[in-house]
Amino acid sequence: MLDNIKLGQYLHGDSWYYRLDPRAKLVMTTFFVVIIFMANNWITYLGATIFTLLIIFTSGVSLKFFYRSIRPIFFLIMLTFVLNLILYRTGEHFPPLTINISKVLVTGYGIFIILLIFLRIFKVIDKYISGKIFKISLLIIIIINVVIAYLFKNEQFIWSFNWIIYKGAVINGGFVILRLVLIISFSSLLTFTTKPTELTLAIEHVLAPLKIIKFPVSELALMISIALRFIPTLLEETQKILKAQTSRGADLTEGNLKEKVIQIISLLIPMFIISFKRAEDLANAMEARGYVPGKKRTSYRILKWRLRDTLYVTSFVLLTVYFIYFRYLWK
Amino acid sequence: MKIKTIALNGIVAAVYVIVTALIQPIAFSQIQFRVPEIFNHLVVFNKKYFFGIVIGVFVANLMFSNLLPFDLIFGVIHTVLSLAITIIISKFVHNKITLMLINTVIFSFNMFIIAYELQLALEFPFWETWLFTASGELIVMVIGIPVMYIINKRINIASH
Repeated sequence: MLDNIKLGQYLHGDSWYYRLDPRAKLVMTTFFVVIIFMANNWITYLGATIFTLLIIFTSGVSLKFFYRSIRPIFFLIMLTFVLNLILYRTGEHFPPLTINISKVLVTGYGIFIILLIFLRIFKVIDKYISGKIFKISLLIIIIINVVIAYLFKNEQFIWSFNWIIYKGAVINGGFVILRLVLIISFSSLLTFTTKPTELTLAIEHVLAPLKIIKFPVSELALMISIALRFIPTLLEETQKILKAQTSRGADLTEGNLKEKVIQIISLLIPMFIISFKRAEDLANAMEARGYVPGKKRTSYRILKWRLRDTLYVTSFVLLTVYFIYFRYLWK
Repeated sequence: MKIKTIALNGIVAAVYVIVTALIQPIAFSQIQFRVPEIFNHLVVFNKKYFFGIVIGVFVANLMFSNLLPFDLIFGVIHTVLSLAITIIISKFVHNKITLMLINTVIFSFNMFIIAYELQLALEFPFWETWLFTASGELIVMVIGIPVMYIINKRINIASH
């Protein structure tokens, strides 16, 4: 259960993007997420796409990793597009799509759904293969649709309506998806090429001005570092607890709600006890090594701002100018 | 801030991330059943857990989120704001269960932040998304109330 969990997304490699100052990467990625919302026509989106592709292709990260980070949101993307088609109702539209629902069609679907339920009840298909079944079902549904449409052309319709798809909806939906893909790719690139520890250091530097209002920035960064350091350790402990509780008959995946809640409690209590003990030990160790909260400290890693970072930032300034020009001034 | 608090919060954040990892598949969709959200009740027992929860949300989103930058920014804002409100209310309300109920309502209500995030990122309809996300949060945190209550009976959360 816990064996295939990938902690962090860092990929080992070396390229100009890896060597950039993490502060530059962090701030500019955030900046990109903000300015991409300025894009509103095809020329601005084209610029943003070319800019992102240039960086991605030269970053030395294989494209398949970007595909992997976009794949989980594929469903969300599709949902977004469909919602757009339904909710967007202005401007020009395509010829209306007539959707007819006949008695035969309803009967066909009815038989099909009942068949699926029966197969499920009699355990012919279990939940592990139902994903495949779902895909096959979709295919069958389409085939049923086509066959029925041809065989029963003259049948009486129970319900018939015109679905109007607006041109703006398709364009807008496309832009939303493109924007999302660009943002996800850009932020994935940051986590692919930057170690969490470097990122924490960058966050500490970026938030440094907050020290003026007595916000504990260094302590915050230290807590993030502790969390990152202890995730693998505590994960191992969790595996032991899970195995111990499983051997006593607990099963986190089965049972009704009440049983599940009890099982979660049986997992959480030992986890809390172990974590509290670890925290105690860690605090003692930190104290013994002379850690004083709030005191100015030196860092093992020192960030250095180089020419390439300035150039990187400049490229974003140029992109912003491009956006402003083609959004507001270009007709 | 005490050394003990720093160490404790770092580790609580790690636990948050691990629990997120355990139930990863159902954590980041429109109807969110994020089981680690029950950790939000920790702040009811002692306000020092504030940073642990916030960092937990941050690191969990950094590692597992699909909508990375959005979840990072809005997820943290949502948690910080809700916890801050609960901390203020905890000065006036001392019954832990009542406070956990109030905490649940605050977190669920504040899901409008997440709904706004999804509207911004995916152009989801705001009101429906708020309803969906808030109900997911409400269910998880209501279940979290007895869970946290039982855990607190066994190990005194506030005293650590």
